[in-house]
Amino acid sequence: MFRKIFALLKKDLLIETSYKLSFILNIFGVFVFLLVYFFIDKMFNSEITEHLKEFGVNYFSYVLLSMAFFSYIGVGIGSFTERIRDEQTMGTLESLLLTPTRIGIILASMALWNLIFATFNACIYICLGAFLFHIDFTNANLLSAGVILLLTIICFSSLGILSASFIIVFKRGNPVAWIINNLEGLLGGVFFPITVMPPFLQMLAKLLPITYAIRAMELAVYQNYSLAQLSNEWGALLIFSIILIPLSFGSFQYALKKARKQGSLIQY
Amino acid sequence: MNNSILTVETITKLFYPAVSFGDIIKHKQKSAVTALKDVSFSLEPGKITGLLGANGAGKTTLLKTISTLILPDVGRIKIKNYSAGTHDREIKSLLGLASNEERSFYWRLTGKQNLEFFSTLYGLDKQRTKKRIDELFSMFKINYQDKRFDTYSAGMKRKFALIRALLHNPEILLLDEPMKSLDYQSVQSLKQHIKELSNTGKTILLATHNIPEAETLCDIFIILDNGQIQECGTLSQLREKTNLQDASLSDIYQKVTKNV
Repeated sequence: MFRKIFALLKKDLLIETSYKLSFILNIFGVFVFLLVYFFIDKMFNSEITEHLKEFGVNYFSYVLLSMAFFSYIGVGIGSFTERIRDEQTMGTLESLLLTPTRIGIILASMALWNLIFATFNACIYICLGAFLFHIDFTNANLLSAGVILLLTIICFSSLGILSASFIIVFKRGNPVAWIINNLEGLLGGVFFPITVMPPFLQMLAKLLPITYAIRAMELAVYQNYSLAQLSNEWGALLIFSIILIPLSFGSFQYALKKARKQGSLIQY
Repeated sequence: MNNSILTVETITKLFYPAVSFGDIIKHKQKSAVTALKDVSFSLEPGKITGLLGANGAGKTTLLKTISTLILPDVGRIKIKNYSAGTHDREIKSLLGLASNEERSFYWRLTGKQNLEFFSTLYGLDKQRTKKRIDELFSMFKINYQDKRFDTYSAGMKRKFALIRALLHNPEILLLDEPMKSLDYQSVQSLKQHIKELSNTGKTILLATHNIPEAETLCDIFIILDNGQIQECGTLSQLREKTNLQDASLSDIYQKVTKNV
C-alpha cells in the first residue's frame, strides 16, 4: 500500500517540478499578495482595532496567518477537484482505475500531496512573515495549533473529496467549490474577523467549518490558547469531520459508479 | 465453452446522450442509445480473437466493460472464477487493456517513468519492474533515449500502451485498434509482436475495423454491428454459416453486416 502511495506522490512531484516557472511564480505571488495587505495595514497605522483585540495583533499579522492557514483549506478543497479534472483531461483516470489499486489509496495519495503542497505554501507565508515583516510567532501554543491543523486537514480534505465527486459526475459544475470560493472567503474570517459583520451573517458564518478553524488558529498562535480554551472550536471541527468523512467517501464511490455506468470517466 | 478463460453473458449497455446546461452536464434518460445488446461469447485460452466492427459498433464499449471501466446494465462477465462487479481487483490483475487513446499516459513524464509508475500500481516491486521493463523493451526492440512521453511518435506511443498492458504479465490482453494510425512497417512489426504474445499463451481479444489485417492475425472472429453480435467463429466456420465458400473475411463481413 505504501509503495503505491509513494509512487503516486512521486508521479505528482515529477509532474509539478516539470513546471519550473509555476514554482517561482508561486513564491513571488505570495510576496506580492502580502505586500498589498502590508500597505493596507500601514495605511491604518498598524493599529489593533476593536475587532482584533481578541487576537492581540494588527491587521497584517491577522491576515498573514489566516492566509497561511487558508493554504491547507484552499489546497485541501481545490486540489482534489483540480487533480481529478487533470486526470480526466489527461485521460489517465481510466488508466489509474484499470490497475488493481484501491480508490482509498488514490485518494490518500492525493490528500498527502495536498498536505505537502499546502505545508510548503504555508511555510512561504510564515517565513516571509517572520523574516521579512518581523511578525512574532514565538508565543504560539504548538499543541493547540497542531490539533487544529490536523482537524482542519481532515475536515477540508473530506470537503475536497465531496467536491471531486461533483466533478466526476457533472464535469464542471461544482456547488461545493462554489460555496468555498464565494462564501468562505467572505464569511469565514480569512480577511477580517467575523465580528465585523452584522449578526445574521455571523450566524451564517458559524455554519462553516472554516470560521472555527481560522479563529482557533489565530488564538492558538498569537494568544497561546490551550486546547481547553479552544474546546468549542475543535469540538465543532471534530463534528464537521465526523459528518464529512463518510459523506465524502460515500459520494466519491457513488460518483465513480455513476461515471462507470455512463461510460464518462474520461469525459470532461 | 468449458475451456473458456473469459465468458461474456448477455451484456446489454445503454448510453444516455449528454446535454450541457452551462457548466453542468446531464444525461438525458429518455433518449437512450443501445451500445451493446445481448452480447454473449467466450474466449479460448491462447487464441487471438478478432472483434470486428465499424466505428460505433460497440467494440470499445465492450472492451471497457470487460475491463470493469464501464458497468453493464444487464448481463455478467466472468474471468476464470471471478465475476466483474464483485471481484474487480482480481479481474484487473488478470487483464491488460491497451487502449487506442493517446491520452492515457502522463505526457510530462518520460516513457520509463510512466511504466515504472504503472508497474508499481500493478503491484510489481522495484526489481521486478526493472526486469520486466527490460524484457518488454527487448521484446519490442525498443532502444532509445528516455524522453518525455509527448515527444514520442504515434507508433512508439502505441508500443508503450502495449508494454503497459503487459507489465503485470496478464493472461488476457485486450487490444483496442492497435494498428490505428500506424505506418506499414509499424503495423507489420506490431502484428509480429501480437503473434509472439499469442505463442507465449496469452489470450488476446483484438478490436479492429481493419478486416484484412484481422484475417491475417486472428484465429477466431466476432462480428459486431450496432452493438449486437452478428456472427462468430473461425474463418471456415464463418464461410460455412454464410454459404460463402472460399470467401475472404471482408466478403463475409460485408454480407453479415450488409455494408456492401
